[in-house]
Amino acid sequence: NVGHRLPPTSLPLNKAGIQRYSTSNQEMQAESNPPEETVVLTESCVKRLSEITGKGEYLRIHVEGGGCSGFQYKFSIDGNKSEDDRVFQQGGVGVIVDQDSLEFVKGATLDFTQELIRSAFLVLKNPQADHGCSCGSSFSVKL
Amino acid sequence: VSKRKILPTRAALTLTPSAVNKIRILLQDKPEYIGLKVGVRTRGCNGLTYTLDYTKDREKSDEEVLQDGVRVFIAKKAQLTLLGTEMDFVESKLSSEFVFNNPNIKGTCGCGESFNI
Repeated sequence: NVGHRLPPTSLPLNKAGIQRYSTSNQEMQAESNPPEETVVLTESCVKRLSEITGKGEYLRIHVEGGGCSGFQYKFSIDGNKSEDDRVFQQGGVGVIVDQDSLEFVKGATLDFTQELIRSAFLVLKNPQADHGCSCGSSFSVKL
Repeated sequence: VSKRKILPTRAALTLTPSAVNKIRILLQDKPEYIGLKVGVRTRGCNGLTYTLDYTKDREKSDEEVLQDGVRVFIAKKAQLTLLGTEMDFVESKLSSEFVFNNPNIKGTCGCGESFNI
């Protein structure tokens, strides 16, 4: 039963199908990255980045070995991006992740947490991470 | 009978100028709080972690540290752990945090958030 999927103007089925396809295609292009390959930024993260990054500067997320759980996140402000880097822009700010690191953080959310004792960038809900250290800077990979 | 020397009591916790400054900023628009309270909690991969909260009144068992006009209280459970610790505030573009340079600890976690004694 496809009746309920038709638009209210009730276009012929084939036309409606084309339209649907083209809109979803446009959405894909607008995002330019399939959702499972991206890094999402929270509101507080976007706000903080807009404060600390200048024009042409990005926050770089780099994953390296180390920490108590095997891997750890490193953050830095970087003005140079290379061919290997992927850029995720949101709300006027951008985050760059190199291809190797992206394998470990894709699908994750980047947050800027503010607490009395510390304020820092933090990777949340990383589908690639199994369990992390309590501080969230280190994690082990799901196998 | 030998004269017993009276040593000045050392503060259980010392604050660096940047920590004093930050605490003052934190408290200046919050007149309902009298200071900050440092505690420890069992958490993290290395046993213990520090906690920091605003405090409205002093509990009987709290140790009070008054330095340069700011008050920091140490919860009873944390007093032995923190003895001789220097509390610092480190700020950079990417993060800002209170750091405790504690002479009593044996080891820390990679990130420095948790420690053991």
